[in-house]
Amino acid sequence: MNPRERFAAIMHYQPRDRCPIMDFGFWEETLTLWQEQGYPAGVDPDLFFGMDPQWRMCGCIVGLWPPFPVLKLIDEGETEIIQQADGVIVQRGKFLGSIPRHLRHTLVDRDSWNAFYKPRLRADDPLRLPAGPAWEMQLAEWTRPDRDYPLFIEAGSLYGVARNWFGLERISEIMYDDRPLFEEIVETLADVVIAVVEVVLGAGVRPEAASMWEDMAYSGGPLMSPKLFKQILVPHYKRITATLNKYGVDIVFVDCDGNIELLAPLWLEAGVNTMFPIEVGKWKADPLEFRRRYGKAMRLMGGFDKHILMASKEAIAREIERLAPLVEEGGYIPTPDHRVPPDVPFENYLFYIEEAKRVWGKGLANLKPTGKPEKRAKQDATA
Amino acid sequence: MSQPNLDLLFTAIVDGDAKKAAAVAQEAVAAGVDPQTMLADYMIPAMDEVGARFEANECFVPELLISARAMKAAMEVIRPLLLGRAVEPAGRVVIATVQGDLHDIGKNLVATMLEGGGFQIVDVGVDVSPDKLVEAVQMHRPQIVALSALLTTTMPSMKRMIDRLVQEGLRQRVKVMVGGAPVTQEFAEEIGADGYSDNAAGAVTLARRFVGVAA
Repeated sequence: MNPRERFAAIMHYQPRDRCPIMDFGFWEETLTLWQEQGYPAGVDPDLFFGMDPQWRMCGCIVGLWPPFPVLKLIDEGETEIIQQADGVIVQRGKFLGSIPRHLRHTLVDRDSWNAFYKPRLRADDPLRLPAGPAWEMQLAEWTRPDRDYPLFIEAGSLYGVARNWFGLERISEIMYDDRPLFEEIVETLADVVIAVVEVVLGAGVRPEAASMWEDMAYSGGPLMSPKLFKQILVPHYKRITATLNKYGVDIVFVDCDGNIELLAPLWLEAGVNTMFPIEVGKWKADPLEFRRRYGKAMRLMGGFDKHILMASKEAIAREIERLAPLVEEGGYIPTPDHRVPPDVPFENYLFYIEEAKRVWGKGLANLKPTGKPEKRAKQDATA
Repeated sequence: MSQPNLDLLFTAIVDGDAKKAAAVAQEAVAAGVDPQTMLADYMIPAMDEVGARFEANECFVPELLISARAMKAAMEVIRPLLLGRAVEPAGRVVIATVQGDLHDIGKNLVATMLEGGGFQIVDVGVDVSPDKLVEAVQMHRPQIVALSALLTTTMPSMKRMIDRLVQEGLRQRVKVMVGGAPVTQEFAEEIGADGYSDNAAGAVTLARRFVGVAA
């Protein structure tokens, strides 16, 4: 069974050989710190740990086009102030893993929307997709019958990107001060996604899933009320998922950190049926509880509490065993619930991977070995 | 002049209607209503109501923010009158995101709610070193220090902040409250903080308990 077949079988509760072994990624600081604990410098962690291949994305642009120029405005030593490609001026640490701090937003009201953002969100902009021979090459790759990896199509964001452009405070005000503007932004974002998806899927590409990103929750719950979410966002999620479903794409991911308890049923209602990465947090989200509450209609990915990776090998083994029945049932691919932070000991992570391969991967011979990246590279070369 | 209906001030703040809150406050000031009465009996209770709804998942971050904006609009109207009255705030809070951490959304929400609850806020910013915190405590002499962290890797900075306050002989003068996504009650106790809240409205309740003000 190749990774593409395995992914599709899991998400549709069909027979498969085992669960893929995947990660959410690592902080840069983690890999640097782990070098003092035995991790070899300069080696790709996925190769080193023997991960299964993750999905690849269809390369299409559903966000701002053209992007704002990235400008380094001020060098402050350990931090710097830059204008990002989304037009936001941020202060970011050069050496810290911290998320950049927003200092100023180009998008503040209807005028700035019309002047700077709306023109960058033309749904019919041909430059959103490769052209000519590049497009033909991409199509050939994406539609190749023997493609062995899961392919995802980008399905954008209806709130997360707008929140970044405005900042949390201003978008919160806009929802009440100028609701038509908020609605127009959401509709425009959905229009772009639908137009691009129509071109790609209309050309015969059949990805295994679509992927959305929102990050619209924190430890206390959603960053907007479920009532407004249902009124304003859900109809446009439904437009997007209906387009995807029309072409047989029935697995739609949403990447949202934080406590998603109040949003998950609304996403499911809208056809966004795969929650990722199910951040456990102090609110104790639990993939088993999600399955109990929403049944097999809701697929899950993530949900392994990264704090357990910091604790002990016994705790890691217990959690792997606890999640195993859900892995067996299907519709679930476990990974750490976010990038692995530097306070996870390298030894613990090695143990986690070996246990995951033994329990979730059933110890099968087609698993990649841990700690032998060279061997992996050779295997890949001869495959 | 007829007495304005001050319940409208309460409602305007709860509903997040800044224009109406300012207009009712203006009308009340013109009618000679005591600004301290407006603040204590209508405006702060309105923010308390918003906080209670927030904790009960009946309102969310946007509603909390627009209510705070309405509170500020009414405050702008009555502040000049309060200045001459030697009205003391409920307490003074020095608030900061700890060293190594640039996140400020949670800190700003807590500051907004504390301000709405009648506290004076000294916001020291993000990525604040123990030295900078000590300097702020010495300068502003707060009753409360509020520390925020979003990352497990920056949580230990909270302990360093508290240790530094101990070293400088300032620890007994202030109550320390902590919060942020990875922070828990257990962690707060472990590092010697006086209290923890998992949300902005709860932080106001905690701060009032610290300064002995009834909620």
